[in-house]
Formats: sequence, structure tokens, C-alpha cells
Amino acid sequence: MYERLTAGEFRIQCEGDIVRARKIVRDAATAMGFGLTDVTRIVTAASELTRNIYHYAKCGCMRWRTVNESGKVGLELVFEDHGPGIPDLAKAMEPGYSTGKTLGMGLPGSKRLMDELTIESTVGQGTTVTVRKWRKLA
Amino acid sequence: MALEKISVIRLRDVLLVTVPSEPDDETVCALQEQVLAAMARHESKGLVLDISTVQTLDSYFARTVSETVQMVSLMGGRTVLAGMRAPVAVTATQLGLTIPSALTALDVDRAFDMLTLPHPGEPHV
Amino acid sequence: MNTANTASPSPATVLGSEEDFRLLVESVTDYAIIMLGPDGHVATWNPGAERVKGYRAEEIIGKHFSCFYPPEVVQRGFAEHELKVAAKEGRFEDEGWRVRKDGTQFWANVVITAMRGKDGTLRGFGKLTRDLTERKQAQEQIKENAQIKAALKEVGDLKLALDAHAIVAITDAQGKITFVNDKFCAISKYSRPELIGQDHRIINSGHHSKEFIHDLWTTIARGQIWKGEIKNKAKDGSFYWVDTTIVPLMNEQGKPCQYVAIRAEITARKQAEDRIQQQGKEIMELSMPVMQVWKGVVVAPLIGSLDSQRTQKFMERLLNYIVDTNSPVALVDITGVPTIDTQTAQHLVETISAVRLLGAQVVLTGVRPAIAQTLVHLGINLTDIVTRSSLAAGLQVALDILHLKVVSKNGSH
Repeated sequence: MYERLTAGEFRIQCEGDIVRARKIVRDAATAMGFGLTDVTRIVTAASELTRNIYHYAKCGCMRWRTVNESGKVGLELVFEDHGPGIPDLAKAMEPGYSTGKTLGMGLPGSKRLMDELTIESTVGQGTTVTVRKWRKLA
Repeated sequence: MALEKISVIRLRDVLLVTVPSEPDDETVCALQEQVLAAMARHESKGLVLDISTVQTLDSYFARTVSETVQMVSLMGGRTVLAGMRAPVAVTATQLGLTIPSALTALDVDRAFDMLTLPHPGEPHV
Repeated sequence: MNTANTASPSPATVLGSEEDFRLLVESVTDYAIIMLGPDGHVATWNPGAERVKGYRAEEIIGKHFSCFYPPEVVQRGFAEHELKVAAKEGRFEDEGWRVRKDGTQFWANVVITAMRGKDGTLRGFGKLTRDLTERKQAQEQIKENAQIKAALKEVGDLKLALDAHAIVAITDAQGKITFVNDKFCAISKYSRPELIGQDHRIINSGHHSKEFIHDLWTTIARGQIWKGEIKNKAKDGSFYWVDTTIVPLMNEQGKPCQYVAIRAEITARKQAEDRIQQQGKEIMELSMPVMQVWKGVVVAPLIGSLDSQRTQKFMERLLNYIVDTNSPVALVDITGVPTIDTQTAQHLVETISAVRLLGAQVVLTGVRPAIAQTLVHLGINLTDIVTRSSLAAGLQVALDILHLKVVSKNGSH
């Protein structure tokens, strides 16, 4: 079967954009045929990561696209900001670690909800978090 | 605008709040304000949060609910989270979210029973 | 007709004078006929020599004849060696490369004959040189042709071997089929004329994604070999799988001008893989049944070892079933779980937490002594979880939670 390629970009500028980002991700994941539980996982991770951008960098953007690798089909979300960056990446992946007003669940929680999470961050320049979820065989 | 989405209904001495399916942070915040105001006004003995339509439970929402449960508790009431969807429960658990001190029920009906019929053995989160 | 032969020589003027001989030599243009002094200096020169070697008589007479040889041959002292042999044996014959005045080389047949006086003293040498370059080239050409023929035969044999073994197709740079072997026709069920001039879309099964096809084309268009497994569709609509290698053949500009696709059928293997996957799925489903045993009570026996994927699936099934049946109690029976490790225990704890969020409660049953020991040693905190050693005891707990009581019909328990 042929996969419809979907991709797009969404700017995160205000608090209401967190809910809008969730809607975009929910629609994309549902259209790709993810099961309801996986859709919920992906949307929740997107919510956490979008909120991180809003809280720490004020603004940034979310890009999404379908990915196709060695027969697997998945959804990739990239969260990018030019905020303060993360000084200690290893610490940021520990549950409960937070430098701000969040619970510190965002990064470690998203890693558990998604299949892949990679993070790049430079203090003073910004942070890019890339997450992927592969569609399970029906 | 966010305030319109939430209505706090009082049934006898229990408050019933239906949470919208995709609440934004503002709505979640407003929910807490309204619930506490209603608790004070009616001296209710319990709160049922109907979350059966909620599609996404993220850490911010979980924290606000958790805080609300504790605040309601300080005001002498008990809170029951009713009707959480299965995918939401799976996701919340995997994310590592807990809502300590809240009671849970499969639906609003059972939640009302828990708050109004005195019997032991109900599950605690 | 006048039969009197006026031109016929009279016996008195017998041929063979030195003058006749000189005239003869002068008239020969195909052979270089020269005389060398005893020490190898050129003494006479004929037009043949001029034609073959390029020197005019006045340029070369008096020069040493070693200038006819390539420098490396002179270095070996070959020219002197020739003269020595000719002096000793009377004659020396050789074939080899010689040098013209302009530096070009030619393949020469050379005969050197020693000339001696009546008393036997060496007067010099006669040297006859023929230019055999063309003949040499023709010989080499024949040799080369034979080699090409042998190589072609080898290629032909290899092609036969390949044809016998594999499904082969060749396309042009645009992907139009220019050649298919019998095996290709047999598996695709198309005749050769139906295939030639078409592209491979004719057997496209629609199974592969656009990205997959795109990756294939970009790889071979770059001149790189592509390998992969492809599902194709035959003329009759049936599908077959082929393990495929596509080799781009490059033109002189380094651009692919043809693509050779070599395939082997792997349909049987693919079907077996699908079957195994399907069976695996079925086994997975079979080993995690969830059922309602009483209104409000579901039972989920876990069988086999638990990994993350299975536990996640189990969690989803159990939670959905609890919601669907509106059951406040779930009995999770682990009698069939052979061993438990930290990871598995953690998954169980997670499942139990998730069930609680729904508003239901898990009773863990079938905790055998070994499992209980392991859990304690692993430091897994199960104190908040209701556990029972048997499913029967668990069911009693479930009924208690639901405020139900089993009463014997004759009035006692």
C-alpha cells in the first residue's frame, strides 16, 4: 500500500498553541492509522514538549512528517526553539528534574511514550527535541 | 471565554464538574478556581470530576487536578475522578503521572455512590 | 607476328655482372639491401633502404648501423652480437623492432650475411631488411581476436549459467525493458513481446511505498547497486516475491545507460515468514485472554514470559475490557508466568496503577512461592497491591469488594 506523505510546521507562540498542537498531532497520527492508545501517547508527548517550549523558550516551532524506514512507517515530531537551552542533558532526562515551573515529566515521560527521542541543546542558543513513534503492524 | 466551558453542578451535597475534552491551561486553572469557590459556597462533602471525555491528560493537567484534590481535601471534601478512558490511563501511567489522594471510579454513577454511600474497600490511587 | 625474339639475351651477354647486380639492388624498393663494412659502418644504400628506414644515402653512408636499433637494444650490444654471429656462422637472421630516421619503430625481418674474399678475409656484410609491421599487426590482431572470442564465450557461458539460475531483465536508462530471459517470462506470466518496451510498472504490485521505489531509483541512477526484496504482480493477478539486485551499467560519461536486474524468487520464504508472524500474533493473543467471570469481575491470566511489548498490549486489552464491561475488579493471574524480573514486575505495577486510574482495582493472584521470593529480593513494593496465592482466593476478594456473598442453597456457606 502507498503511504500518503504528510508533513507540516506549526509555530508555538502562546499558551493556546499547546492545545492547537495537540489537535494537529492527533489528526496526523489518526490519519496514519495509529491505534487510539498510541494516538493518545503521541498527543500527550507532543503536549509535554510543546509546553516545555512555551515555558522555557516562550516561542518555537513544531514540525511533523511521516517517516519510512526499512519497511516501518512512523510519525516524527521535531520541537525546536531558540530559548535558553538545557545545561545538563543527562539530568534533564531524569524524572522529576525541572529548572522551571513544570513537573519535570516532559522529557523522560515523552521518551517512555515514544519509541525514539533525541535531544540537542546548546546553552544560550536553543533546544531541538526529535521524537518518533513507529506504527505497529495491525 | 474559557470560563464558559466549565459548569459546576451541585447535586445534593456533591459537586459535579464535567471537564472538556481538550482543556487548555487557562480552562484547567479556571476549573480549580470555580470548584474551590463552589466548595466554599455550598460546603459540599465531595467533588466528582467527570473526565470521561478527556482525550489528553498531560503533566500540567495532572498537577492541577492533584492540587485541586488536596485543596478540596483541606476544605473537608473528597474527590473522585470518574470515567478516565483506557488509553488516557495507559498513557498517564507510562508518563509517570499519579494523582495521589484522589479516588477513582469507572463512571459518574459509581463516583456518586462512593461519596454518598458509606462503605469501605474503594480503590485509592 | 614476328616470332623472332629480339629482346632475348644472347648467351654472350650473360647476366650476373656486378653492374647488373647493382641495377637490381637499385630497383628494389620493398627491401632494404645494404652493405656494411667489417666494423658495421654503412657502405652502400639502396632506394628500398631509403623507403624502409627513411635515410637518404648521403646521410647514412659511413655511419654505424647500430642507429637502426632501439637504444635499449644497442645498449645490450645486440648489433655487435649480430655481426659476430654472422661472421662466425656466415648468416644471422632476426625479427624485431627497428628504428626509422624519424624515430618511429617498425617490425623488421633482418638477414645479415658475411661477405668474404677469396682468401677468406671478412670484407663486410650484406644486410637485407624487410618491413613486416603490417604482418605483425595482423598477427597481433588475430591473437587479440582470439582472446576476445574466448572472453565472449566466457561471457556467453556466464550468461547461460545466470539465465538458468536467475530471473533476468535489462532495461534502458529510462527503465524500458529491453531484454527478459525465459525465467522472467515464466514467473511474470507475460510473453516476451508483452514485456519488451514496457517498464517495470507492468509487474508493480502496489505493495511498496513511494519512498521505497524512490530510494531504489535514486540509488541506481547514482550508479550504485541496489538490493532488496520486491513484491511483484504477475499477469494473472497473482503475487510473487523476488530478492532483487539491480546493477547499473555505465556509459563512457559515467552515466547509467542500462540496468540489469537479477532476481531470485522468494515467495515461499515470504509466505513462511508471514505465517510465522501471523502465528506469533495469534499465540500472543491466545496467551492473553481477558474474560468476565461475574458481573463486575474480569479475569486476565498471564501466560509465558512478559516483555515490554507484550505487557503494553496486555495493559491496553485489560483496560479497554474493564471499561467495556464496567468492571470494578480485575483478577490478574500470574500462575502461568515462569519467571519474573525487575522489568516484568515494574510492568505489572504499571498495569495495576493504570487500572486504578480507571476506577477499578487489581487483585494479583497465582503468586507462587518462588515468585513471591523473587519479588521481595528485587525490592518490588507490592504492599499497596492486593495479592492472593490462588485464583479462587482472589475471586473471594473480588466478591468482597463488590459486597457480594456466595451462599449455599441449603443455607450454609
